[in-house]
Amino acid sequence: MATRRGFIAGLIAAGLVPKRSWADAGSPSYLAAARQPDGLFSLIGLDSYGAEAFRVPLPGRGHAAAAHPTRPEAVAFARRPGTFALVIDCATGQLKARLDSAEGHHFYGHGAFSRDGSLLFTSENAYETATGMIGIWDVTAGYRRIGAFKSHGIGPHDIRLMPGAETLAVANGGIETHPDSGRAKLNLPTMRPNLSFLSFTGEVLDQVEPDPALHLNSIRHLALRGDGTVGFAMQWQGDTSMAPPLLGLRRPDGTVQYLQAPDAPHRAMERYAGSVSFCADGTLLGITSPRGGQVQVFQAETGDYAGSYWADDVCGLSDGPAGFMTTSGTGDVDAVAITTREWRVRHTDGFDNHLVRITPTL
Amino acid sequence: MRRLILLFLLILPTSLPAQDHGDRIRDVVDHHILPGFEALADTTAALAQQAEADCTAADPLRQAYTTAFDAWMGVSHLRFGPTEVQDRAFALAFWPDPRGATPKSLGNLIRAEDQAVASPDSFATVSIAARGFYALEFLLYDPTFETMGTPTYRCALIRAISRDIAATSADILTDWRDHYAGLMLSPHPDSLYHAQDEVLRELFKAVTTGLQVTSENRLGRPLGTFDKPRPKRAELRRSGRSLHQVILSLTATRDMALRLAGPDTALNARLTATFDDTLAKATALDDPIFAGVSDPLLRFRIEILQQSIDHLREVLLSDLGPTLGVSAGFNAMDGD
Repeated sequence: MATRRGFIAGLIAAGLVPKRSWADAGSPSYLAAARQPDGLFSLIGLDSYGAEAFRVPLPGRGHAAAAHPTRPEAVAFARRPGTFALVIDCATGQLKARLDSAEGHHFYGHGAFSRDGSLLFTSENAYETATGMIGIWDVTAGYRRIGAFKSHGIGPHDIRLMPGAETLAVANGGIETHPDSGRAKLNLPTMRPNLSFLSFTGEVLDQVEPDPALHLNSIRHLALRGDGTVGFAMQWQGDTSMAPPLLGLRRPDGTVQYLQAPDAPHRAMERYAGSVSFCADGTLLGITSPRGGQVQVFQAETGDYAGSYWADDVCGLSDGPAGFMTTSGTGDVDAVAITTREWRVRHTDGFDNHLVRITPTL
Repeated sequence: MRRLILLFLLILPTSLPAQDHGDRIRDVVDHHILPGFEALADTTAALAQQAEADCTAADPLRQAYTTAFDAWMGVSHLRFGPTEVQDRAFALAFWPDPRGATPKSLGNLIRAEDQAVASPDSFATVSIAARGFYALEFLLYDPTFETMGTPTYRCALIRAISRDIAATSADILTDWRDHYAGLMLSPHPDSLYHAQDEVLRELFKAVTTGLQVTSENRLGRPLGTFDKPRPKRAELRRSGRSLHQVILSLTATRDMALRLAGPDTALNARLTATFDDTLAKATALDDPIFAGVSDPLLRFRIEILQQSIDHLREVLLSDLGPTLGVSAGFNAMDGD
């Protein structure tokens, strides 16, 4: 008689076990690192209504995460200068693997999967020589480190896979740090950030360097649109009385445009953009300002300022049902349409810097 | 008890009267910022004169250097406006220098007998790492540099750096006097600072960032890790100024923080006590170049000093910040 157990055993023997998918993790749409009210840290999955889908504890303060394109797996990165990252099965909450940075390297807190999910790329600092590196991990071999190449700049931070190509976009922030000195910035007078486009073997395919007068504008976070347009968010390290642009757009034809709001709201950003994201249909581009407590939205085609949405300590930003979804250090998840909020879900956790969209890769 | 605290929070005034805001700003500008930059301009002019009179790395020049550097420490936390034009602050103080750019650039100038030293204009174009107080320290206190190249060239280089420091300092003072003080004293919707609370925020950040630099760089660099202390990374160890710098940084930020606290006597007393406790720990250290970072027992006392400065910064963020209308969020104060 065919029992259920026997049937399943037969499936396993035949290698036919249905693969787990993100649906097995409660179908979260987003990942966010958070600080719980008890002071402990966790990675939280949020559904498209802003409700908690799952929660897994983290050993310390997290930063960003990378979601596997198909399997319900996320790589949670510690806040820099962390030396390990955790691969978490978001369906079971179990730790699947642990990535330890190579000797003499530490992670910067961001990573990107290849389109088929077989490779993971991580931004790293080879700190004795202050060389920016991209680590390569074989996902199919249980996240085994298989190599690394130069990021072609100091302090690589965000890293994204370009749509339709085996190309990585890397934000080389330009700031030298060394774990011996914590997060102290060691090279401000000479820093030179860039946005680099690298092949999977580390060749530079293209590079955007800001004007030398803006060499203190650290390029940190990226947003990608299906046509290959890249939005890059910056953090100014120079004169606090200056108000340089904090958002750039690099179009597929290679042209670069800098975007900023009118003087008053722009100055309210306080020289710092936390996250950047396109909205779902790609017509709008937003940046968050935790210091200024606002999200600023721009027309992606023209670069025109579309408006601001105000929320305390807002930093996490992704596309969402109303246009954008934001998370804040005060625990709010907001569905935002340019200047207005469609709804808010309040959590007791404080959300850390980024809100990561779990989405089929572009 | 919790209800009591809530009640107390509710009746706290959300902002200060404009009169009070304006008084605090004027006090900081008139009694902290302007005198600080005047002292820097005066003492660096004296340094340039002394180098002109006698360029040997001996007591008179070292004394002038010490006095001028002390004056810079009175204002080095004021990193906005005139100090940031044309990288002036970096041209005065290129540090930290993890790749050793300063000794490298100086060595290149000396070996090539680079004639950029001939005029102020040409010297302003040399590597920024070869300019300023930190470069001059090598020439006045490092045995290798005291004998490198010819005495004539060394002398020309010392004079060029000293002149350059004096010129940069004079430019900063001119800008402060001619327009930047006015910008801070008279905020206006059409001006750089739109309102007094923006000015206060700028001043407050100067205090907290100044302390952060002292904790992370001045103490954090030599402390390294327990397994790998880095005594050679101590700031200005050749001239024995490492601990002195920490004390001067605390003294300068203390003066500014208390002026920002203004007439709030309870806050003033709390900040005074916290600063003085930290300063007492620093002066009691008796380790001018943090050589103790490699000794488990002595290291402990340097770590305590660092923690004390971090605590001080937290007190400023939690107590002084809100008084000035500066909010402190999870992401806002500590982003990445």
